[in-house]
Amino acid sequence: MSRLNFLSSDRFVGLVFIAPFVVTALVFMVYPIAEAVRMSFFSYNPLRPDLTSFVGLANFEFVFSDPLFWDSFRQATIWTLLSIVFQTVFGVSIALLLHRALFGMAFFRGLLLFPYIVPTVVIALIWRWIFNPEIGVVNHFLLWVGLINEPVYWLSTPTMAMASTIMLNVWKYTPFVVICVLARLQTVPLELYDAAKVDGAGVIRRFLDVTLPQLREVLIVVIVFRTIWTFNKFEEIYLLTKGGPGTSTFNLAVYSFEQSMANLRVGVGAAAGVVMMIMLLVGSIVYLRIAGFGSEEK
Amino acid sequence: MQVSLTRINKRFGSVQVLKDVDLVFPSRKFVTLLGPSGCGKTTLLRMIAGLEDITAGSIRFGEREVNKLAPRDRNIAMVFQSYALYPQMSVRRNLGYGLRVRGTPKADIEEAVGRVARILEIDHLLDRKPAQLSGGQRQRVALGRAMVRKPDIFLMDEPLSNLDAKLRVTMRGELRRFHLDLDATTIYVTHDQLEAMTMSDLIAVMHQGVVQQFGTPAEVYSQPANVFVAGFIGSPPMNFLPGTIDAGRFTFADAKLPLPALPGGVKPAHAAILGVRPQDLIFEGTPAADTLTGTISLVELLGSEKLVEVNLSGQKRMSVQIHADMVVNMGDRVHVKFDPQRVHVFDTESGRSLRAG
Ligand SMILES: Nc1ncnc2c1ncn2[C@@H]1O[C@H](COP(=O)(O)OP(=O)(O)OP(=O)(O)O)[C@@H](O)[C@H]1O
Ligand SMILES: [Mg+2]
Repeated sequence: MSRLNFLSSDRFVGLVFIAPFVVTALVFMVYPIAEAVRMSFFSYNPLRPDLTSFVGLANFEFVFSDPLFWDSFRQATIWTLLSIVFQTVFGVSIALLLHRALFGMAFFRGLLLFPYIVPTVVIALIWRWIFNPEIGVVNHFLLWVGLINEPVYWLSTPTMAMASTIMLNVWKYTPFVVICVLARLQTVPLELYDAAKVDGAGVIRRFLDVTLPQLREVLIVVIVFRTIWTFNKFEEIYLLTKGGPGTSTFNLAVYSFEQSMANLRVGVGAAAGVVMMIMLLVGSIVYLRIAGFGSEEK
Repeated sequence: MQVSLTRINKRFGSVQVLKDVDLVFPSRKFVTLLGPSGCGKTTLLRMIAGLEDITAGSIRFGEREVNKLAPRDRNIAMVFQSYALYPQMSVRRNLGYGLRVRGTPKADIEEAVGRVARILEIDHLLDRKPAQLSGGQRQRVALGRAMVRKPDIFLMDEPLSNLDAKLRVTMRGELRRFHLDLDATTIYVTHDQLEAMTMSDLIAVMHQGVVQQFGTPAEVYSQPANVFVAGFIGSPPMNFLPGTIDAGRFTFADAKLPLPALPGGVKPAHAAILGVRPQDLIFEGTPAADTLTGTISLVELLGSEKLVEVNLSGQKRMSVQIHADMVVNMGDRVHVKFDPQRVHVFDTESGRSLRAG
């Protein structure tokens, strides 16, 4: 093929179009991942780069024998699991509500995006104020209503701190679930509901036999994405509790960060990151297989 | 079960979709709601099913008013235009769903599903999902789902419109057979007049939310109540000529055509529309008082017949259906003869038939 021909061919135009994405992906995704994987085999202290040395699997051995790593793993699992369960339940319920053509629903649909667009830093700061034991509005309100007799130390007992981070995550990301589910709800054929009514199905059976099966695929996808993003989440926990009190709200991202930045064991941090990535990868594949995603014919 | 509709009205907001519909569907008859798109057929059917609120009027099944009754308590079954099969359920579960919801014992469901599947010849498809079926098979499953509960009233909304022409003809016969086996009152919606003519005991012709005529297929065909029914029923469609009635003759251009007796009452120089079906016209060798003269502008072969288009004076056209063996050519001058007993006469102003009285 001549040069001129190639320059005007569909193939060339296609390459031009995908080039920006390929470059971006290489620089911001592939390179950092490759670098993290490489780093996980080295001992590296940013203050003493001269001492950098290849240590084989030593970082991984360290991580696997570190009780804090396993605590972080356990806490990350709890935090992810509860966040996802609540987000899904609330998300589907709110979507079902908003789907009804009631007066004023357009307004609430607009409000939905609010938590989603406010930066996490701002939200975390506001939440720290809200949950402040002495001056926070939550305690104020609960005391006033009479639900509690003395201030609750929201962010300073392990259970309450975990509950608060979960609440923050649920509050911030439920709208994502709502939007996905709402979009799908609008495409459910109305005749299916009529058929179910004629067949004698009540409200609950119509939900279980018509709505839910139609939501299956979107929920599978939403749950995968939310799980990956939540399991990996760093800033919400760090900004709200710094992983504390103690290490009670550490997840693997916080663990990796603390190892790299506070303890200056970048290799160990990288190894924790690699382990986390493999866990998510394997977990997602297994989940999608079990859920049978894509196997359902239309 | 007899279904009676009394002064049924339906409004969506400010749009009046049905106006004073009065119909009685006799028990165990096959009745068709026929009309062009948007005339309110589906809306009326959904009101009978209980899926749509009634703005005004009353619906009774037998003696009992059902206006406020939920669909599940009406003992009806419905076949939807899109079939509306539950996509995640197998054919077996789709068929048994209505019984399962009502808590029927497993063995009975099994038996009922098996019986219906045998009648409809879908036993070999029971374990498939709807997505793995052809359009015709889906249609049978939808029918089966409706038949399985032994309903009193069987509602169908254009169940054949998604099938190819040939399958549609076969299914017409089958639906008719199922109706006879089923012992239920069938209310069938279609916009296809041929379907209505071939399948129904009674036809309600609707237009813009108003019932135009309710009668047997023979009645709506041979004694159309108004211009709309006359034009809607029959294929190829009826010819219409505008003119006046004078001294028992219909004046069009310079022809004076003989008319049948008109009990409807005629004023002098009464403005009227003459309607005549292409099948009821013949070509005559010589012009006469009861013929119109024109030139052939188009000849279509329909199979055993030919449809001939004749240009009359005054920009008017008529179609004439003749036997395919007859030789005619474009440009021929022909004389079209009317049989006074086979013409329809309508009042221009009201559109009503003047033959009906
Ligand atoms: N939910 C609704 N809200 C507002 N108008 C409606 C609604 N449903 C139907 N209509 C209107 O009512 C009229 C009758 O509709 P319907 O569906 O009964 O027509 P149809 O005779 O079944 O037509 P088709 O042969 O196209 O199915 C139409 O003009 C339609 O626009
Ligand atoms: Mg319709």
